[in-house]
Order: sequence, then structure tokens, then C-alpha cells
Amino acid sequence: MALFSDVCRGVRTLLGQCQRSAATAAWIHCQSSWKYSQTAPEPEPVIRDNEAIDKTFVNRNPRNLEQMALAVKDRGWATVWPSRQYYHRLVFRRTQHHITAEVFSGDSVDPVLSCSTKEWALKRELGSTRSVAACRAVGEVLAQRCRDAGITRIVYREVPWKFRSGSNQTFWTALKEGGIMLSEQRQKFI
Amino acid sequence: MALRGAARVLFRAADAGLKHHARGLRFTAVLGHRSAPQGPMPNEDIDWTRLDSLEKYRSYTRYVRSAEEADRKDVWWKTYRKYREEEKEEAVEPVNIGLPYQRPSRKTEVKERKKVMLENKKNPEMERDNRLRTFRIPLDRVKTQWEQTNGPYHIKRLAEHYGVYKDLFPMAYFVPRVMLRVLYGEDSSAPVHYGNHLTPSQAARAPQVHFEAEETSLWTLLLTSPDEHLLDGEQEYLHWLVGNIPGNSVSSGQELCHYISPFPARGTGFQRYIYILFKQEHPVDFSSDLRSSPCYCLKERTFRTLDFYRKHQDIITPAGLSFFQCQWDQSVTHTFHTLLNMREPVFEYDRPPVYHPPQKKYPHGQPLRYLDRYRDGAQNTFGIY
Repeated sequence: MALFSDVCRGVRTLLGQCQRSAATAAWIHCQSSWKYSQTAPEPEPVIRDNEAIDKTFVNRNPRNLEQMALAVKDRGWATVWPSRQYYHRLVFRRTQHHITAEVFSGDSVDPVLSCSTKEWALKRELGSTRSVAACRAVGEVLAQRCRDAGITRIVYREVPWKFRSGSNQTFWTALKEGGIMLSEQRQKFI
Repeated sequence: MALRGAARVLFRAADAGLKHHARGLRFTAVLGHRSAPQGPMPNEDIDWTRLDSLEKYRSYTRYVRSAEEADRKDVWWKTYRKYREEEKEEAVEPVNIGLPYQRPSRKTEVKERKKVMLENKKNPEMERDNRLRTFRIPLDRVKTQWEQTNGPYHIKRLAEHYGVYKDLFPMAYFVPRVMLRVLYGEDSSAPVHYGNHLTPSQAARAPQVHFEAEETSLWTLLLTSPDEHLLDGEQEYLHWLVGNIPGNSVSSGQELCHYISPFPARGTGFQRYIYILFKQEHPVDFSSDLRSSPCYCLKERTFRTLDFYRKHQDIITPAGLSFFQCQWDQSVTHTFHTLLNMREPVFEYDRPPVYHPPQKKYPHGQPLRYLDRYRDGAQNTFGIY
């Protein structure tokens, strides 16, 4: 939830400009459609019904502040690994039989998005559910789901000896080619 | 006096238990006053005198798995997660208001799936592609199958993440069983999925809506925006409402409120625009929801999905869900000036006030500007000397 309030001078001048353009538009409209009634536009705008707005605007979208990079990240974990300073994180797990990739948000225990070879949609296309090709498939499908969900910037932290493996590298490239940025914006402290 | 007495009693009782503690009383700190811990301290069960006899992890994966298990275990001290769960527990258990679902027989399903998997394993081309890493999965086929199996649950999870159920149906949720495909643009260039970003210029005209439906069924399509309201933060603006849609064709439904493009105000960030598809049991009389055509009065477009649903809840059930996010762009100015006939509002982000702990009468070690923190905007004391 975010609180917005209008700024005095800048907004008033901006509103003034908008009002002027509305008045000119109205005047041209009058001139073009009703040529016989030469009614001049009102010198001062009358507050119409639509213009009754609240000075403070509340945006209930819980993901708005994260997308504007204004939400607070969980800071203070600089001396430990992995850091919790992110909005969304990516987890890539390989077990003996399956491959799972999940996107978590903040402190949530349940994933927001997930893609796994355990799902029938992927299992039926794959010959082997634990090969490098399967990692690539999981990466591509997860990239499509993230794009469709509007989450395009995720943080991916992995230990170096796992990150260098062929399966991890193919998964990482597949995500990047699918259009996901594996780094997040820095929080804005305005 | 009474307090000191109580502390002495505590000390005497604590002595007995604390002699066996690794830490002891001196190092056990509990927010100011010292007392015995209410349970075993972490790592107390590890015998640190004979480290060589302990079983080692020998692998990073084993360590990570045990660390995650320990993280999920319940402990006697209050963690951040417990605080968050308490907030959630206070809320009422949500009700499922969606369509009922009959899962197909698991036995036959498993048999068929095993057959397909065996064929895949025997397939030599697939094996070669896997080996040479040239295999590319067909994304559209995966999506079609996903929509039939996992899709509704994934969309429900995303809708909870975006707070759709919390804002539209406060104590209810539904699993969207019917897949709603909404495409903006003449060449269907801008589809609506579940949270993707679109611009108001892309969403300027009414979209093409497709969903699977029997010929004799009736549907209602609703486009609402819970974040857009300029007067009241709890209400929504109705962008499009079409009722009594026969079968698949939205154009032959009764248009109760004609389509208006999104108008997110400048400076307010991303706002959600949610499409809900309701299934009707029989034709509904929507005369109370009929708006004038065209309707550019914001008061008439003020809407609450909960009230609309409560009015017709015996007949309509939410079946499909799709939503997108929109930010301000130039076409919104045009919408405000020409269609809504008003001046465009512009907003700026208002930072929440800095937190200061409750004011103490004798703040020890604080600078003079300590008083300015509680002065609520009057003249500062620093910088004037």
C-alpha cells in the first residue's frame, strides 16, 4: 500500500497546463460542432463531479512498490550468506530423478511460481527428467511463466561449485534467453 | 521491593537448572533482566569436547538439507516467521466460491502416463537430442497441457501473491477452472496473462475474449480495477461489464457498462486490472447494474465486486481469472481530458514517516535534536547556532 499526496507548486502548474489544454479543446469542439451558438468557454473551471478526488491516493497493489523499487528490502544480512536483500529469489534444485525451479518472494514459504519435471505437462515431452536438456526445458518454461506473471527481475544465488556445472549453466542461459534479468534494481531511497 | 524479591526467588530457582547449561546464567541474556531460558538452547545436544567422534556432513547438499529442516522446526523462542503467522491466523479461514471439480480416476491416469513415458524413453531421436543437448521443448504444447492440469492452482497462487482475492472477495477465494484468453490489439499482439505489464495505449480498445464454453451456457465478463479509485481507496472502478453471454461470443452478450480504457493516474505506479468470468446457471436480470451508455461519470463507475457478487451469488459463480498491470502513459492524459472531461491528477510518492521510539523524559546520551524528532514539524534547534 502506498500513500501519495500532491506536491504544491509543481502539480498546480501542471494541473494549470492540463486545464488550459482542456479549455482549448472544449473551445475548438464548440467551434466545430455548433457553429451557430458562439458560446465562449468559461473563464474559470467549475468543479465537475469527476474532479472530486482525494488529496491522498492509496494504491492497494501489494507488488506496486517492489516494481517501482521503493519497497524496503530485507537488509542487514551482509555478514552471512546467502543475503536476503531481494524482492524475488530463484531456487534451482536437482534431485536424483527430477529437476525443480521455484521463485520465492521475500520471506514467503510457498513459491510464487514453480516449474518442475514432476509436472505432467513437462514430463510427457521429456525423455529423461534429469538431463541437461531437461534443465534447459525447465528454464525455458519458467522464463515464459515469469514473463506472463510480470516478474522479470529475479535474484539467483548459488554456490560456485554448483553454478559452474553444465546443467546450471544451461538453466541460467535458458532463463536469460527467455527474457528474465537475473539481477534486481537497487532500492530507491528518495 | 516486591520486584527485587521476585528476582531473588527466580535466581534461586534458576540456579538449579542453569548449572547444567553450557552457557550458564552469566551469558543468558533475555532483554534486560536475567532469567532461565524456557527450553533447550540451540546446539546444546552437541558434545563439543569430543569433536572427532561426531558424524560429519561430508557433503554440502546434506548440510543444506539439514539446515532447512532445522529452519522449519518449531522452537520455543519467538521468530519473525511466528509474528507473521500470527497476523495470518487472526484472519478468518477463506471460503472456496469457485466451481466444483471432479478429479478423473487416478488409476487410469497413471497407467496412460506410464505408457507415454516408456515410449519416450525408448524413442531414439529423443535420446540423441538429450545426449547432444539439442532438445528444445515445445512451449505451446506444454502450456496447453499445463492449463488442463496444474494451471488453475498456479493462477490461484499468483492471484494470492497479487492480493486479488484479498481486495475483490475479502474472505473468499476461487480456483479458476476455465481458461480465459484475453487479447488486446488488432493482431492480438498484447495478450493478458496473470500479472504482465501492458500500456494503456495497448488496452485502449475492447479486447477479443476467448474461452471454452458449451453453446447453451451463459457467462458474465467483468473488468475491474481495485487500485484506480481517486476518491476512496476501498472501492473499484468498473471498466467493462457484459452479462448473459451465450456460449463463446462476448459480442452477443448484454453490455451493461461499455468498455473504457485504463486510466492509472500519473505517479501512482502500477495498478491491477482484473478480468473475472462468471458462469451463470440461467439468464439474470441485470437491470440494477445497467449503466448509461456511454458512461463517463466516475461516480456511476464506482463499483464493488463483493456487492455485485453478493447480489447475484445464487446464480453466478466465478470461473475464470486473468489480470494485467498498467502504468501511466500519454494516452491516459487524453482519456482524462476528452472522455472523462476533467483535469488530470498528478501524484508524488509520500514516504512513510521515520520511526522514532516512544519519547523518554530523560533521554540519556541523545543529542539536542532528540527533541526535534517529537516536535511534529515546528522549527528545528540544529543549524540555527
